[in-house]
Amino acid sequence: MSSSTAPNERLLRVPGRELELHWRSSRHARRLLTLSVAGVFVALLARRPEFAGVAAPALLLLAAGRVQRRPARISVRLRPSQTRAFEGELVALDVRADGQADDHVRWTLHPGRDIDPGDVTAADGAQVRFTFTPERWGRRQIGTMDVVLRDRWRLAEGHLTVILPDLDCYPAPADQRTKVVLRRLPNRLGEHPARTSGDGIEFFGVREYVPGDRQRSINWPASTRRGRLQVNTFAAERSQDVVLLADATSDVGEPGSSALDLALRGAAAAARAYLEGRDRVGVITYQWGGVSWLGPGLGRRQLYRIIDSLLASNAGYARGASFRRLPRAALPPGALVVVFSPLLDQRFVEALRDMRERGFTLLVVDVLNAEPPVRWRREDRLAKRIWQMEQEAIRFSLRELGVPVVHWDGVESLDLPLAAHTRRPMAARR
Amino acid sequence: MTGAAATRVAPVLLGAGCIVWAAVPPAHSGYAGFALFLAILGVAAGVLRLALAAVPEPEESYLLSGPVRAWLKFLGTLRLVPWEEGALVAILWLEVLHPARPWHTAVLGVALIGYLLATHLAESGASPEALRPQIRVLAAGAGLLALGAGAGMIPAVGPGPGSALLRLVAAGALIAAAGLVLPYVAAPRPPSSGRGTPGRW
Repeated sequence: MSSSTAPNERLLRVPGRELELHWRSSRHARRLLTLSVAGVFVALLARRPEFAGVAAPALLLLAAGRVQRRPARISVRLRPSQTRAFEGELVALDVRADGQADDHVRWTLHPGRDIDPGDVTAADGAQVRFTFTPERWGRRQIGTMDVVLRDRWRLAEGHLTVILPDLDCYPAPADQRTKVVLRRLPNRLGEHPARTSGDGIEFFGVREYVPGDRQRSINWPASTRRGRLQVNTFAAERSQDVVLLADATSDVGEPGSSALDLALRGAAAAARAYLEGRDRVGVITYQWGGVSWLGPGLGRRQLYRIIDSLLASNAGYARGASFRRLPRAALPPGALVVVFSPLLDQRFVEALRDMRERGFTLLVVDVLNAEPPVRWRREDRLAKRIWQMEQEAIRFSLRELGVPVVHWDGVESLDLPLAAHTRRPMAARR
Repeated sequence: MTGAAATRVAPVLLGAGCIVWAAVPPAHSGYAGFALFLAILGVAAGVLRLALAAVPEPEESYLLSGPVRAWLKFLGTLRLVPWEEGALVAILWLEVLHPARPWHTAVLGVALIGYLLATHLAESGASPEALRPQIRVLAAGAGLLALGAGAGMIPAVGPGPGSALLRLVAAGALIAAAGLVLPYVAAPRPPSSGRGTPGRW
């Protein structure tokens, strides 16, 4: 929080909103009134004028406060530094009041849910800046701002409350630098070295010179050894289609590190990593009421489109969602499908099996980090054991189908669980 | 002692001083003990309220434990009851139990105003500079306080309707003087005077 006297030019461009003040006596005024009334009362009853003298300063202060002019309305300008932020990102909120004359302005921020206001929630001055941090993804209401005007004598207070705008909070992407690359890549220019020769920069092999080859690609040591001109060849560089599949049907675990939180953070990290590698990335969200999808695309703007699509996910019971009805644009053939799911919904698991049988290359990131509560009854322990065995069976059946399942706890980098699959190109077994 | 600490300590010292000033010498009539208890309770609870002013109350109180619920109830009561007003009345009550001592009462009046201003500063977090515009009014009030004490010093020519009437007239004159002096004292200064709090914009 900071208080500033310098006019903020960007804030001045925001149209001010005229708001009505509700004036009432301050506690200070009520205390002065009590002293003056009690003093005069005692003076009259006890016939002791010195008590009227005790009441006199309080009466003077009260009467002085009454003759002050108080504005009925003031103009309030609000401007958050951004309307979209990632989890944990510091956001500033500039506020400014106009038309308060000589009155003292006090701002008090009442943060909304999952908004961390930091240490200071109140500030004085005509223009101040608050800072806060959204703690969890989603469309968050920043909160409300109480504005209190106090007159010169601090005897009257004008109150008004401003509802602050909403903030779109994006899930903070996890750390991911490495990428899973398919062995067979579509014939499209990209950054992944393919298993065919082309115009890339990664060494692929040596072959005999043919007329038309560039002279600078001649490998002179090899030519000397073999007695004929040899040229270096390089691997072609291709891109791939990546479809991120986020399972939003189950949200279990502590808020802030639940399965859905981890799924969205993981999907955001994967989207950012693959888009930086010039891959086309799309997203499918398996959620309440069916499936929503965004076709693969390129570029930084696609990252925000993907996160916007993920934000719309609503944890709940998915009725009859099926990937069979998805158009080809949403799930292009030969795409790498990276799944973020706690694998709790049996129908979702069936849908994964179905996709695998249709020939898609899948990689499941298991984001389940919660277990049923431990109790002391034997039946409860038995039920928990059965549940654990069911979970193990689900993961085992997927592995048997050729779908690798890796577990991610949400704390470590995504590179660690994916390390076994990022070292070499991933084969699509049929 | 820093300014913030002084602002917090001042209500305690002034409140305690007012109680001692009004209670000594101890009176034994007119529920003096009860008034003393009320005064101490009011000042102590008021100071406690100021000390706990920054403790936040949770927005959702649905699934709270018993002790936390009791603590929140205590906080709510502490913030709701006008403790300082009760203390003021009790202190005046203690003072009125004593025989007339006008200058002693005038000093008590000054201390009470100081107690209220200190409480206000501690409550609002404002610096003592915020009282600068009120200095002239406070000075005029001090003058009226002295005038009241002086009126109390008018020798009573024995109990009777004459002296009682004289004192009532003095009290009325005091209030009328306050009303007359107000328009001059409280008139806002023009912005071009260069004094007082400068406009921020």
